[in-house]
Amino acid sequence: MDDRITVRDIFWKFLKIGSLSFGGVYSMLAFFERELVEKQKWLTHEEFVESVAIGQMTPGPPIVNTGICIGYKLKRLRGSLATTVGQSFTGSLLAILLAIFYVKSKGNVLLTSVMKGVGAAVVGLLFSIIFKMAKTSIRDYKAALFAVTAFFALALLKMNPIGLILASGILGCIIYGRRP
Amino acid sequence: MMVLLKVCWILVVINSLTIGGGFVMLPMLQKEFVEKNHWLTNQEFLDAIAIGQLTPGPLTVMNAVIGYKISGVIGGVLAMVSSYLPCFIIVTIVAKYYYNYKESIIVQSSFKGIKPAVIGLLAAVGISLGNTAVVDPLTFGIAVISFGVIAFTKTDPSFVIIGAGIIGATLL
Repeated sequence: MDDRITVRDIFWKFLKIGSLSFGGVYSMLAFFERELVEKQKWLTHEEFVESVAIGQMTPGPPIVNTGICIGYKLKRLRGSLATTVGQSFTGSLLAILLAIFYVKSKGNVLLTSVMKGVGAAVVGLLFSIIFKMAKTSIRDYKAALFAVTAFFALALLKMNPIGLILASGILGCIIYGRRP
Repeated sequence: MMVLLKVCWILVVINSLTIGGGFVMLPMLQKEFVEKNHWLTNQEFLDAIAIGQLTPGPLTVMNAVIGYKISGVIGGVLAMVSSYLPCFIIVTIVAKYYYNYKESIIVQSSFKGIKPAVIGLLAAVGISLGNTAVVDPLTFGIAVISFGVIAFTKTDPSFVIIGAGIIGATLL
């Protein structure tokens, strides 16, 4: 808790961060660190690193979670509310505006061909994400087995992915849960 | 009204289970919104991903597009609230009890199972979406180039999506 900082300051700072965060997560984290640790001195480097770690080990987008955690450190619940709303405001507003435009111009020939190209690019993007995730997370045969089983359970058996994620969490507990 | 409540509930559940970045929610979103409830087609789902990628902030923003498509502006706003509510609750609790949480063997070991499983799920969704979007040599070429550029260079995916849109407008 820090009395120099107001909830409004936090909101504006995160509105700025949320509005400029085109691009990747890692450039965002560098931006966070420069603004909040070096320029404003709201957080120490250690507090920042801890917030990033919490952001990555909780459900939801890591970058937003890092922000929620920083907000909590600064001003408890009101701080985390300010960072959540500030960070998500611009993106959500733009997405709804684009969605309105998209739904209204449905059937437009030009938009249809634009979206055909875009759709193919999204498929490529998805596989590049899979490729990058596999490189970091699949390091032994057990992990590979989790991935392959989940693939077939969804692709062939059409099982529910919510159930599959819960099941793989429980299996993870059973397989990796015993202390060495 | 009932539909809107159902949409919100599904998004709360999915976002509580999305561990490891926004893309992890795609298999669950596709199952619930496209296959089970038929609120969107595969093509519309792809378009929502593209919009989520183009707007600032995480991919989760695509849920606003899905919400809008189903129930208008209120749907879009409530979709975002339902998406961030679980994050907000869970992160504030974890921030408070960080050291207990980090050392928790249950948390660590369940993540070890979930992370690789998610990759398998994403691959299955990638194939399903590929069947919709990759229909001729040109779309196949776009998908391959997009994969290569994003996997092996540091190019921002937004540029790839905009580029593909321009190619689509001129050639498709």
